[in-house]
Amino acid sequence: MDRRDFIASLAAATVASHLPLGAAAAPSSGRITLLHTNDTHSHIEPFGPGNGPISGLGGVARRATLLRQLRAQLGSVLLLDAGDTFQGTPYFNRYKGRLDYQLMRMLGYDAGTLGNHDFDNGVELLVEAMEAMEQLQHPNPPFPFVNCNFDFKGAPELGKRVRPSLIRTFPGLRVGITGVGVAFAGLVSPKNHEGVGWRDPYECLRPVVQHLREVEKADLVVVLSHLGYDLKGTAPDDLQMPGQVAGIDAIIGGHSHTFLEAPTRVPQARGETLVFQVGFGGVNLGRMDFAMARGTLRSASGSSMPVLG
Amino acid sequence: MKPIHSLLLPFLLSLSLGAQPPAAGAEVIPITASIPEDAEIQKVIAPCAAEIKATFGLPLVQAPQGLFRGRRGEENLLGYWVADVMRGAAEGVTGKPVRLAITNAGGLRANLRPGLLKVADIFELMPFENELVVIELTGAEVIQVVKESIVRRGGEPCSGVRAVVSGTPEAATATITWADGSPIDPAATIEVATTDYLYGGGDSIPTLKKGRKPFTTGLTLRQILLDACARLAKDKQDLVAPAPGRYGIPVPIQEAIRDRKFKL
Repeated sequence: MDRRDFIASLAAATVASHLPLGAAAAPSSGRITLLHTNDTHSHIEPFGPGNGPISGLGGVARRATLLRQLRAQLGSVLLLDAGDTFQGTPYFNRYKGRLDYQLMRMLGYDAGTLGNHDFDNGVELLVEAMEAMEQLQHPNPPFPFVNCNFDFKGAPELGKRVRPSLIRTFPGLRVGITGVGVAFAGLVSPKNHEGVGWRDPYECLRPVVQHLREVEKADLVVVLSHLGYDLKGTAPDDLQMPGQVAGIDAIIGGHSHTFLEAPTRVPQARGETLVFQVGFGGVNLGRMDFAMARGTLRSASGSSMPVLG
Repeated sequence: MKPIHSLLLPFLLSLSLGAQPPAAGAEVIPITASIPEDAEIQKVIAPCAAEIKATFGLPLVQAPQGLFRGRRGEENLLGYWVADVMRGAAEGVTGKPVRLAITNAGGLRANLRPGLLKVADIFELMPFENELVVIELTGAEVIQVVKESIVRRGGEPCSGVRAVVSGTPEAATATITWADGSPIDPAATIEVATTDYLYGGGDSIPTLKKGRKPFTTGLTLRQILLDACARLAKDKQDLVAPAPGRYGIPVPIQEAIRDRKFKL
């Protein structure tokens, strides 16, 4: 590193180190924290005793408290989910996912994506659960869904509610968010995804990520992935994604119920991608922190936080 | 459970970009070991939880003879029923033939007493959130799974296969076939239904961990049992235990298994 570069990077590091935590005091902060869940599977209540190491963990009301505490100390925060909100407890059988999505809105989710189990009651009931969430009387806005590899031509009501990508702007940075879903074959019965087609996630991601980077000028690109963490080359997965699609900073994964303590750093053409997943059932809340300085990623770290009782 | 310092560590790391203390005016709120429930959210959940609890008293289906796990030396007919339901549900969600289902007797926490079953009875039988998982094994691995389950506990509840052990505790042979007596091709690829617990290595049937292409169905065992009871009631049928005959193990060998002196 020559002296000029060294001084420049030192200056950036100094700027980053002086960024205060409170957003209000730092309009040009350029820091963001991604908080995330995956495969919550209708676990509204904490896991009861007799569930091994996850006994007593989780619960939406506790997640709400943890989120409130974190938002009070952090500046820019995005709360995201990687799909499979549905199926797993009597709450789903009774409320058909309406309660899950409504609670997510109350918790202030910014975006979610669709997992295979979100189709378990068919497209019509999935749309009904989304509608129930939209119609809820609550100060938080309804949250959008992102996916870029499903073809919704035959399911316009669902297509209206799922966008290929979105941009959220924060002081000092723009965040682009997109999502990908797992192939239906063998996972969702054809009648339950009627009208929704599946396409290769990597091929669909490439132009979307490029658009977010180059047209939308996103500083940080996040993929909500319901592909699974490591499928050993048998199908597209999160670990291979950075090598297949350049320009992704963070992958919030789901589907494989993989418990990671911290994000896996995977090299890619434009640096590295943080690949993360925090088990299932809402027993953990994932957290990834990014610090930007002058449009360049200067720092990234993350951890899995247990939702303790 | 994690000690508190490991919870604080990631938080502290995130602060340490320049090892600066928080800016003046910022308040440090420790993430404590115990997270209280948010009152507003809990107010929404409570009536839903009460409504679900009220369903526990709902009648499900008649089980005139009940279904029992069996005493030592007896076959676990309750477990056979659970395994049959698992196999059927796995075929339903994968659309493929599933030739073996296996679960663990230890996970079945109560007998189903004779009479009218209620929703709560299934919750007592299956209090865990164990999930139905479908994996791929070779025929040879299927045989090994059944052998391991015999050595471990004299045969875990299964559906689709039959195992006969003969000889003495010191020199035993196991004949493991499909339920109809036809041989298992060691090279064949077999879809196997089990639980996330066993697939994850619980209860020591290590070969299940080798399962390939795991399909996590998202269906809890409890839910598929509830659904199975509801289907029977709808068809005006009683719940009756499956016939015995899936494991044939001579008494001396059973005793050797109990004393952990048996190898296969």
